[in-house]
Amino acid sequence: MAESGHGKVVKLPDRDPKPAFSKEDLVFASEEKKRIAGFVEEYEKPDGAIMKALWLAQEKFGFLHPDVIQLVADEVGIPYAQAYGVATFYTQYYKNKTGKYVLDVCTCFSCQVCGGYDILHYLEEKLEIHKGETTDDGLFTIQEVECLGACGSAPMLQVTNGPYVHHLTREKVDALVDALQNGQMPSFTSITLPQDEDEMGGNRRTDVDKTEAYRTPPVAETVE
Amino acid sequence: MPKVRIDNETYEFEGRPKLLQFCLDIGVELPHFCYHPSMSVPANCRQCLVRVGTPARDRGTGEMQVDEAGNPVIQYFPKLQTSCSLEITDGMVVETHRSSEEVAGAQKDNLEFLLINHPLDCPICDQAGHCPLQIQAYKYGPEGSRFEFDKVHKPKHIRLGPRVVLDGERCINCTRCTRYTSEVSGSHQLTIIERGVRNYPMTPPGTEFDEPYSMNVIDICPVGALTSADFRFKARIWEMSKTPSITVANAKGSNCYYWVKDNLVMKVTPRQNMDVNEYWLADEDRLDYERFNKDRPAGPMINGSAAGWDAAYGEAARLLSSVDPSEVLFIGSPFATVEDNYLLTKLADSLGSPAPQYIRHVEIGKGDDWLITDEKAPNHQGCERLGMSEIDAEIAAARIQTGEIKLVYVLEEDPVVAGVLSASDMDAVKVILHPYNVTNETLHGANVVLPAATIVETVGTFVNIDGHAQRVRPAKAIRGVNRTLVMEMGESRADRHGTPFDRWHNETNLVDCQPGWVSLPEVAERLDIEMAYKGPRQVMEEVAGTVDAFQGATYEAMGLEGVRLMEIGAAV
Amino acid sequence: MEAKTAKTKAGEWRKYERVLLPPIKDLHRIDVYEANGGYKALKDAIKGEKWTPTAVTDEVKASGLRGRGGASFGCGLKWSFMPKPDGGPRYLCCNGDESEPGTFKDRQLMEYNPHLVFEGIMIACYAMSISTCYLYVRGEYADWIDQMETELAKAYAKGYVGKNILGSDFSCELIIHKGAGAYICGEETSLMESLEGKRAYPRIKPPFPAQYGVFGRPTTINNVETLACVPLILERGASWYAGLGAAKHPGPVLYGISGHVNRPGVYEYPTGMLITDLIEEVARGVRGGKKVKAVVPGGSSTPPLRADMIDGVTMDVESLREAGSMMGTAGMLVMDEDTDMVSWLRRVTHFYHHESCGQCTPCREGTGWLEDIVSRIERGEGRVRDLDLLADLCSQMEGRTVCALADAAAWPVRYTIDRFRDEFVARCRPSHVAVPALPESELEEAET
Repeated sequence: MAESGHGKVVKLPDRDPKPAFSKEDLVFASEEKKRIAGFVEEYEKPDGAIMKALWLAQEKFGFLHPDVIQLVADEVGIPYAQAYGVATFYTQYYKNKTGKYVLDVCTCFSCQVCGGYDILHYLEEKLEIHKGETTDDGLFTIQEVECLGACGSAPMLQVTNGPYVHHLTREKVDALVDALQNGQMPSFTSITLPQDEDEMGGNRRTDVDKTEAYRTPPVAETVE
Repeated sequence: MPKVRIDNETYEFEGRPKLLQFCLDIGVELPHFCYHPSMSVPANCRQCLVRVGTPARDRGTGEMQVDEAGNPVIQYFPKLQTSCSLEITDGMVVETHRSSEEVAGAQKDNLEFLLINHPLDCPICDQAGHCPLQIQAYKYGPEGSRFEFDKVHKPKHIRLGPRVVLDGERCINCTRCTRYTSEVSGSHQLTIIERGVRNYPMTPPGTEFDEPYSMNVIDICPVGALTSADFRFKARIWEMSKTPSITVANAKGSNCYYWVKDNLVMKVTPRQNMDVNEYWLADEDRLDYERFNKDRPAGPMINGSAAGWDAAYGEAARLLSSVDPSEVLFIGSPFATVEDNYLLTKLADSLGSPAPQYIRHVEIGKGDDWLITDEKAPNHQGCERLGMSEIDAEIAAARIQTGEIKLVYVLEEDPVVAGVLSASDMDAVKVILHPYNVTNETLHGANVVLPAATIVETVGTFVNIDGHAQRVRPAKAIRGVNRTLVMEMGESRADRHGTPFDRWHNETNLVDCQPGWVSLPEVAERLDIEMAYKGPRQVMEEVAGTVDAFQGATYEAMGLEGVRLMEIGAAV
Repeated sequence: MEAKTAKTKAGEWRKYERVLLPPIKDLHRIDVYEANGGYKALKDAIKGEKWTPTAVTDEVKASGLRGRGGASFGCGLKWSFMPKPDGGPRYLCCNGDESEPGTFKDRQLMEYNPHLVFEGIMIACYAMSISTCYLYVRGEYADWIDQMETELAKAYAKGYVGKNILGSDFSCELIIHKGAGAYICGEETSLMESLEGKRAYPRIKPPFPAQYGVFGRPTTINNVETLACVPLILERGASWYAGLGAAKHPGPVLYGISGHVNRPGVYEYPTGMLITDLIEEVARGVRGGKKVKAVVPGGSSTPPLRADMIDGVTMDVESLREAGSMMGTAGMLVMDEDTDMVSWLRRVTHFYHHESCGQCTPCREGTGWLEDIVSRIERGEGRVRDLDLLADLCSQMEGRTVCALADAAAWPVRYTIDRFRDEFVARCRPSHVAVPALPESELEEAET
């Protein structure tokens, strides 16, 4: 749920974009084509496969350059315009090149009243960029996002459409940024149910490395 | 028959109509933007809200419940309903803004929302004056706005393609244009992009909106968001007259309006005819109007010099009587009306000359299965139905070269370009020509030039590729006074507010030309041939009555939507 | 309302034994799930002796199960809307889009007990003769989707899902569909459009999904937690389910408690829990010994309740309606006395502005306008008449759009201002116009 902060100016997308990938690179491998064909099989009409195919393409190419969207549309067998309309509707599809790590900070609802903005502003100061911007080294993009469905472990953020990082504090943000600078993505964290803690003495899963228990949220310094 | 009550009036209905279309059909106006009869119904503009109730029925028996007075008990929907998407059922009760304050209020509320981010730039907008948003805002909208913030700014004057320009801020997201490209034209070239209040229609990057039917979105756009690259800022709607007619860029005979200002055609828009073009027009039909304005002859000529009409007619008659009738080649025209071709046939017949032939204009592969045809002339069917045969250019050219033919009489046509005549032949044969434009290559060597009125300056009949006979009406005036033309002339907006002659007050850009049904009888008269008709109406009456292939094609029957003629084979 | 006299409808909830998330280590693994009676209900159903498809639907109807996705609609009734099979495809959509702010329970169910969800889906499909189910999960839950895919593959391998399930004639595919960031996809018709590979614009109803759903075919849409209840109902009986919690809104519920409480989290208890019990006992009270200022009972769209309005209110449709709110998703946000309701409301309006799909006029234009006005008040530049304008705009949006997002955006505005008016008035620019007094009804309410 990126691109927060509705500006009042809607910019025209580059209608004649420079290619970002060479012709040789702008192809799907046969394995990927097979996967997309598999997606198409899953729906009554090929159109249904577009979202999965866009995900696949975004993982491969990093972002959905128009040429990539066209490639996906052709592979799925639907009009390019339809695929482009879909890609721009959903916020998790990156239409522009982003930093290597996209930090999606939730400031919505529960996160707002539990210090989501404190984390956002701290990150902005720390990385010396505003939300929506990318650091000069191309490593980080910060986005303010809408509710990510982890309200009990607020404040929280998500890294590049991947792992959630819960119960954020400044220290935790520092550690996260350090780790990412060293190329270490945070690992999956299982949040222990309070009732499990009481009845089972901790997290019920034995197959996860990292668990965290729900805890009292911090006092928000700012809510805007 | 099932009944529906709308604003306390009872109407009968058949089938399962949707409420909005039903209201429009019976003449009950309901404001709306996104609904279009030929496309899916998203009910997104929310303007056509009405209050609706249905008769309450007993749950057990299914019987209609009645009150003490014996009237059916009406259960109203808790929310207002969009009439575009609502199917009428028997006994339904509908309250529009005419009878319900709630509905009137809801429509006003909706218009307030529609206008908050709209630029309100009507004074410079092409759509102003015939803009559904403007009209409905005045009729049903709030008096002012309570919106005190910056408006959302979207891209403006963006060329979506070669012929369509977008103003994103004016867009109200009705999605008619995107539905058009996905459901009607099938080009899939447009999509709404972004989300929420940032939505607007766009082509995906690296592509253009250049389908051959792109300009239809301009007409269906209920605001000034999509405008014509060709027409932008050329004229205001109230400065033009509009005349119902047909287009001539192909043989489909698509129904259109010609919009005229200062005796120049400014633009061409579609006119609904469900038997021909439905609501649509091909771009080539819309952009094929400069020939009516530009390169028009200055007047009649004899041997390259300007002449009066009388002298020119006389010279034509003299030339015709100077050769043996068998030595005359009459060339009819698939660009000209049935009436003019008929009169030419009569002239040839009266002289004892062979029947006229016509030149076929086909560009293989240009057509599609919609409104564009391979046939590039509008009336080859008319010619065929008059019994004219297609000319064989090689044979005709050979006969001219051998001197077998000494005079070529040409209705609007260009035998030089068609290869029937060559420039060198023109010294040997005499040529009488009725041209539309000075770009006609036959004109240079023509002995008599009788400038012809084009489709927008005449009255007559065309038969389209499917055998649909349709009338054309004069959209612009020609020099001189012709009672028939004035009577048939379209009404201008000014006419409604002034005198019938206001429209013609402007003397600029009048072309000195004549319809064939004026010039051909003039020539005939000078040859003592009887060809006295009161006008084209009478000519067509005779055609419809005497030529089987035109049975039923009177002006009355053709009206505004034409008549479908019998197939040629069947008629014989 | 008689404070303190009203009792919990959740019975001996302190002794409640969890059923959606029973305390079993590694229950998310198929072998553990099976070892604890998992997929037994599906086996029983498919055998067809006791459970014909109609009998399953009737049992679900009898259980009183209401949807857990927000609208609390009767689940069995919804299933019965499906027309008779005509040989063509029919679909079930399991809604795991979970995007309503304050809601985070389906994610935990999908993590800790995915097979219960799969089993519920298969039984529902059996009951409605459906051969394809799409489990629509929001794209942000990528990690959980991966984990579910792994477990789903095992369920396929063991014949619980797929062709000829457990050797029967019944076949059903379960396909996980990953969203990509759009709140609106939680709306059932929008979800269907999204599945069809279009921009997720909600559809006008009628036709209802049961008549014209995914790809124009009969379709039922149920929430993840709703379907997870289905195997339990078959296993333990409708009367067991119906006897749990509030009579008119029975069953177990995953309460997601967040905000200023000492112990936030997802808790499983029966419906009908006292809000005060949930805050004081379950979540161990408000952080730092502060007082409650406001409670949003069921996600951001449900009207917030002032502290003085929650006494005796239980978490079920009936009690919450009476109290002036809704059950929603049971994702409860608790805000303490220091909370700035103006800023909070501004952020809520921003959410709906950002998430409006832009299809319908009142929502597309109205959500942004609401945010503009509340932001102005937040900055101290508002005027008292702005509050009336906000109420007007809410009326202009409610019930005027294809889907309920406009309503969901309007309600928090209407009720937050209504219930915390003083706070809003105090933030507005000083005015020469006298500030109107609280309406009498509110004064009365405040006194009791």
